[in-house]
Amino acid sequence: MAQYEKILLRNMEQPGYRGSLHEYERTGGYQALRKVLRDLSPAQVIEAVKNSGLRGRGGAGFPTGIKWGFVPKDHPGPKYLCCNADESEPGTFKDRQLMERDPHQLLEGILIACYAIGAPVAYIYIRGEFRLGAKILERAIEEARGAGYIGPRILGTDVGIEVYVHQGAGAYICGEETALLESLEGKRGLPRFKPPFPATHGLYQKPTVVNNVETLCNVPHIVNRGAEWFASIGSPPKSTGTRIFCLSGHVKRPGNYEVPMGVTFRELIFELGGGMRSEKPLKGFIPGGASAPFLTPDHLDVKMDFESVAQAGSMLGSGGVTVMEEGTSMVWAALRLMEFFYHESCGKCTPCREGSSWILQILQRIWAGGGRPGDLELLEDLCKNIEGRTVCAFGDAEVSPVLSTLRYWRDEYEALIHQAEATRTTKGEIPVLTM
Amino acid sequence: MAEQHTPQLLRVTIDGIAVQVPPGTLVIEAARQVGVMIPHFCYHPKLEPDANCRMCLVEIEKMPRLQTSCSTRVTDGMVVRSNTSPVVQAARKSVLEFILANHPLDCPVCDQGGRCDLQDFSHEYTPTVSRFTELKRIFPKEYFSPLIETQMNRCVQCLRCVRYCDQVMDVKALAPAGRGTMTEIKHFGHHALDCEFCGGCVQICPVGAITSRLSMYEYRPWMLKRTETICPYCGDGCQFTIQQKNNELIEVNSTYGAGRNRGDLCARGYFGYHASTHPDRLRHPLIRRPDGTFREVPWEEALEVAGERLMGIKQAHGGEAIAGLITSRCTNEELYLFQKLMRVVLGTNKIDCSARYGHVNGIEPLRRVQGAHRWTVTFEDIVAADVLLLVGTNITETNPITGLKVKEAVKRRGARLLTLETLLPVRGSISNITTLSSCHIPVHPLGYGQAVNALVKAMIEQNDVAPQIREQAVEFYRTIESVLRTCSWEDLECDLGVSRYRFFEMARIFREAMRAVVLIGQGVLRASRGADIVTNLLDLLLLAGHHQRPGCGLGVLAEENNDQGAVEMGALASYLPGPVSLSDQAACQAIASLWMEELPQGPSATLPEILNQARVGHVRALYVVGENPLASLPPSFNVQEALERVEVLVCQELFLTETARHAHIVLPACSYAEKDGTFTNTEGLVQPVRRAIDPVGESQPDWAIFSALSVVMGYPIEYGSAKEIFKEIQSVIPRYALLGPAPTPPNVHQDVVDRYLHGDFQVDVTQRYTWPRLSPKSEKRLTLILTQSLFHSGKFSTRAKGLLRVQAEGTLLLNSTEAARWGLQPGGMARLSNERGAVSVKVRVLDRVPEGMAFFPEHFDHDIRILFQAEVDPLTQVPCWKQTSVTVEPQ
Repeated sequence: MAQYEKILLRNMEQPGYRGSLHEYERTGGYQALRKVLRDLSPAQVIEAVKNSGLRGRGGAGFPTGIKWGFVPKDHPGPKYLCCNADESEPGTFKDRQLMERDPHQLLEGILIACYAIGAPVAYIYIRGEFRLGAKILERAIEEARGAGYIGPRILGTDVGIEVYVHQGAGAYICGEETALLESLEGKRGLPRFKPPFPATHGLYQKPTVVNNVETLCNVPHIVNRGAEWFASIGSPPKSTGTRIFCLSGHVKRPGNYEVPMGVTFRELIFELGGGMRSEKPLKGFIPGGASAPFLTPDHLDVKMDFESVAQAGSMLGSGGVTVMEEGTSMVWAALRLMEFFYHESCGKCTPCREGSSWILQILQRIWAGGGRPGDLELLEDLCKNIEGRTVCAFGDAEVSPVLSTLRYWRDEYEALIHQAEATRTTKGEIPVLTM
Repeated sequence: MAEQHTPQLLRVTIDGIAVQVPPGTLVIEAARQVGVMIPHFCYHPKLEPDANCRMCLVEIEKMPRLQTSCSTRVTDGMVVRSNTSPVVQAARKSVLEFILANHPLDCPVCDQGGRCDLQDFSHEYTPTVSRFTELKRIFPKEYFSPLIETQMNRCVQCLRCVRYCDQVMDVKALAPAGRGTMTEIKHFGHHALDCEFCGGCVQICPVGAITSRLSMYEYRPWMLKRTETICPYCGDGCQFTIQQKNNELIEVNSTYGAGRNRGDLCARGYFGYHASTHPDRLRHPLIRRPDGTFREVPWEEALEVAGERLMGIKQAHGGEAIAGLITSRCTNEELYLFQKLMRVVLGTNKIDCSARYGHVNGIEPLRRVQGAHRWTVTFEDIVAADVLLLVGTNITETNPITGLKVKEAVKRRGARLLTLETLLPVRGSISNITTLSSCHIPVHPLGYGQAVNALVKAMIEQNDVAPQIREQAVEFYRTIESVLRTCSWEDLECDLGVSRYRFFEMARIFREAMRAVVLIGQGVLRASRGADIVTNLLDLLLLAGHHQRPGCGLGVLAEENNDQGAVEMGALASYLPGPVSLSDQAACQAIASLWMEELPQGPSATLPEILNQARVGHVRALYVVGENPLASLPPSFNVQEALERVEVLVCQELFLTETARHAHIVLPACSYAEKDGTFTNTEGLVQPVRRAIDPVGESQPDWAIFSALSVVMGYPIEYGSAKEIFKEIQSVIPRYALLGPAPTPPNVHQDVVDRYLHGDFQVDVTQRYTWPRLSPKSEKRLTLILTQSLFHSGKFSTRAKGLLRVQAEGTLLLNSTEAARWGLQPGGMARLSNERGAVSVKVRVLDRVPEGMAFFPEHFDHDIRILFQAEVDPLTQVPCWKQTSVTVEPQ
């Protein structure tokens, strides 16, 4: 089995590492921040991140340096950095570990990002259920403040940065960056339409960068070891660095695995993850969190980088790989995911709001033995009418399990419908009173 | 011909039609300009785009996916396909299919049926068979409020109501609750909706999810006859549409963008329309029997008796023994004709109107200082202002729509608001303008004179006086400076309870303004020496150098719908139409020759003077039109005595009011809804009032009654219609010939300003800036103030059943600290007493009322009036009586 150098998980995998400031500093922590404040201009930091090829780890994979570059340099008012720690994607649990086990790595990344974009304030918007993570971050912020890393004059320079933790209230949609900003402003967490983008009109309509936890954790390492070093990891030029993949489902060793981008799904599932949990073979897997379309065993040799997975018809997304063995009903899997999306649809856009309940009811009916001919065509049509017609990407996400299972396992749906047809006693769909 | 292309405009092609629009235009608006109607639910031009309904999707070249035309702004060369794109058509169909999936399709019982966007678009786009065969989501019916009804199953979740309530009204009473398909529009708290009841949510709802309870199940839209007219309540002069069925008032609404209100209304306008057709309306002329009861008589008899008795007084005692009072709620035509009748036929100058209760306190200083008796600014200037100074006005409750302009300036355009007001900046269910203030100074109702002194003093002391005044009117500002030296900061701070630095700050902001507008409300206008305060505020405007700057000016907020018109029609003591002062011989002569009549030479008399003269027998006949002095003044004013003493009392009224009960002859008049004419709003715009329903009973428009009476009395001044009177008004008052959709405000008369700056100001400058010290707050007594409520206007609205559902009685309003101090329970009773009497009232806690004070709505002052004492302003003869002090005990 190949051994890969761990970057983000390195510290926490040392025996006895508890993530205190002292321990973090001993492993070279906050050296990047010192270097940045001492030697680099904000433009140079942005340049380095651009050159590293770092792309967002939250799901969409937007190049981080370019995002930072969009923030107007000479904006007179305040600017903000928001760390998106609302990790709610089913099958994804990397940010939680990064925050709970090595909070200072994140804080250092946040501080460098703030310096780069000129933001005096950063908010960590953390998922409401992550109470422990919030507590740990609060404590880490206090430690860092005590050591002069956070405050009005960081390490004696003129740079002042404040970091606050804000706990969400349990809505998946608040992981969407603009809904996150609305929620942070104290409003109902509904996505905003774009443009304008947060880079110019973000929190309180001020220039704002929203970055994922894992993205920001990479930043100190890029500063310490250079953009070239980072750009050489993974499958350059488009997918550089490592990713933490969250392996779950019917495998022997579920968990977080940090590997360079570009390893294959086969390697992740069968070597790192130890293969399937039982004798049953692999039936399918979700490659990048619940929003990503399913893939099949035929895709096991697809490289885990942004382009390759997209080419295979799915997306690398948040890095949550959920594995399903033979014998799993894919109709049930789609139904289960649809229940989640129905529950979490914020209700802002008509197609997503009404479509999620409609699709869910059809799936429930099919699963309960009430399927009818034409249901599958209707499902596909409804999905097509949601995709690309909503403010945020939730609409695209909610149809992906249905569309992809229909693509690869349509026979399972058809079997259920046939069975229902065979046992149905009445033919008319709406009972009519006949005299 | 070369193609015209202005660089500031962007070229867009929509469905093959080219159009040029300014940058920033939304695609949906650009399309509207070329006649391409893009269907939408959530978009509304009044609101920020939200792009949630997805109905307005269009195809735009070089852009991925379909775009929402309500949120996309045009770029140069953009090519948009809407109705010509099959993809777009299919997308809209699918959005409608989604919306209709959970829609109850209860159109037969839906009040929106026939004017529903969802119905119209469905008709346009969807096939008749739905593919939805699952279970529909159902929200159980919940009681919402006494006036507004929700039916959430019909809701399309466009959030227009929520956004309107926040962005336009600044009330934030509504919010979406729940998530996804379970989203429903709710209000806050475990009680019925408690808001401003502006009806905006009902008006802006594109479907039947929010409807009015007043007209539920009463109509289909095509049964209604519509009439555009003007609201009869406050001076804002909102345009609205009365909708009637079989001569019954069914509903009132206002078209988007219509009138000065731009389609926005307040509770009075939206829910107050039933006052006109109240069952108590007088239907026949009445003549009083000797035993005090009335008998119905035919019009001929009533007019004959009235004419004979009035003429009898004239012949026996001269015209000076006759006086007339008229309400400013009448149309301009009626006010004009009334004063003409009184002067020409009855030969008296003793005429006054309800503008005497306060509005004259604003008019007189405006005439004196700037030569124009009306606003030199418009509502547009309020919106465009960068600094607004509001003095003594709880604007949301008295002039709600002018208040909206202030809110728009502050919230959307970042204007700075300065407030001198009694209210405390505490939020509540009704918006409080002081909460938007960037500099609020709380002022005791008796302290406005001193507060304005402090502001002027601050401006002079920190050298904020404009250079041109300092150079060209040295005398003016030096005199004010020296007069104000006698008024020390220590005294001012002690009396006002506010540090001098707050006034320095306010003066600085006011001075720095590029466009400053001052609005003055009832707190000043009804105060003792209100005219002095207004004059001093005009001084402030002069000192800051704002008087000549465009967009700057001072506006007096009219309480009644036609206060301004009443003044201009000459229905005011000592003025002829214009208003032309009776002392202006040449102008009077001009009017006399236009009328081809002799003007009476006798003295004029104001409302208090008329009542006094009636009491002592100098005035023997009183013609009262729509005015109710017995209920508008406290008993200590002895109005009853005056009414009982006069030999002839003719009352022309909608209802048998307290005053009318004393009348010998009662003539039934029409309300605004039953007649034609014009009203002049607070900013001076003359707007047409149109007859929407037939007169109730045998009632007649006031002008027709005056006309008929003149014939009976043998001096016919006859007109065939209100329009004929208006034509005559136009010949008498040149300004009334300039009509339009927006007012053309007069300029400040430079010669008048110069005369004022170089001499006229001195006449009373010492006296104007000298104010008595406020007596220290009494621990044993509470200051009781009669205030105006958002839900009522005068006493007329207390006949509107819709408004009575929100506010049916007066409650004593005081803050929680004060309530605790007197041992009062919210909802309990309190006994108020002073040397004049005692009354029991219900208590309500309202934390915006300052300590040491209690408010009571004047609309329900019937019992509480006995506690008050009127004092007549020696200068303008305004009866001031809206405050008193009382002791309080729980009951």
